[in-house]
Amino acid sequence: MTEHGTAPTTDHRAGPHDDPDARSTHLPGDGHMWFMVLGDLVIFGCYFIIYMGFRAAHPQEFLAAQQQLNVTIGVVNTIVLITSSWFVAQSVLATRAGERARAVNLTYGAAALGVVFLVLKVYEWANEISRGYTNSNEFFSFYYVLTGVHLFHVGMGLIILGVMVRELRNPRRARPAMVEQGATYWHMVDLLWVVIFALLYVLR
Amino acid sequence: VTTSSGTIKSSRTITVVWLVLTAITVSSWWLAPGHLSSVATASIPITVAAIVLGVIKSRLIIRYFMEVNSAPKWLRRSTDAWLAILWGSVLIIYLL
Repeated sequence: MTEHGTAPTTDHRAGPHDDPDARSTHLPGDGHMWFMVLGDLVIFGCYFIIYMGFRAAHPQEFLAAQQQLNVTIGVVNTIVLITSSWFVAQSVLATRAGERARAVNLTYGAAALGVVFLVLKVYEWANEISRGYTNSNEFFSFYYVLTGVHLFHVGMGLIILGVMVRELRNPRRARPAMVEQGATYWHMVDLLWVVIFALLYVLR
Repeated sequence: VTTSSGTIKSSRTITVVWLVLTAITVSSWWLAPGHLSSVATASIPITVAAIVLGVIKSRLIIRYFMEVNSAPKWLRRSTDAWLAILWGSVLIIYLL
């Protein structure tokens, strides 16, 4: 409608962190968090490979047990965690842009979805146990350990999201590096779940 | 505080990644043995598809959500090594 609205605009306001064309690299958070995350990834990676080894010894038994899992809850929970990660990633961007209130709300959104994941997972376990699928079955013993250790990480992640909110609410703090650290941990929880979902629910 | 064009672009990228991850997740529902009413049988094509989709999903999370795409080379290399060793081992153990 307006004449000047169609004029090309040049934007030089991009800061050092959010210029996508800058060739300089940026380590989100700090080295300590990445050391922990990479360590966790290696440990979980070993669990996953051991699981595949045991599965290869009895593929029919494992497949029959896998078929007893509730795929619908698995799919819904995967989408819940992916969406939660989206909230945290947006919160990091809001923090860098100085929009603290928005960053806090996005982090609350992420945490709420984390709680939804937790509740659905516990419901899923209760349902499986009530149908008699316990640790006595080899597949289910892996399933309970892997998803149990993962759920512990979800709990840890929720505490870390709480620390993020505390950081963001303090006007003197709100350090982007602190928020990035929390975000990195939360995305790792999402990443590990995506692997668990593929190996336990989908693979045949 | 004005939102810079860089932030808007990053925000859009994150949303596109979220859409792709969600679409892949929904499509895996049909691959999974749990949705079948008959007895599931082993399937190499479905397993390979599950692994390929797993690789795409986990790398998208690492590269875009965890922002490793713009991280130093040592982090890009080490996360790619983790992905290659993990998914490579899964495929090899399955096929052996």
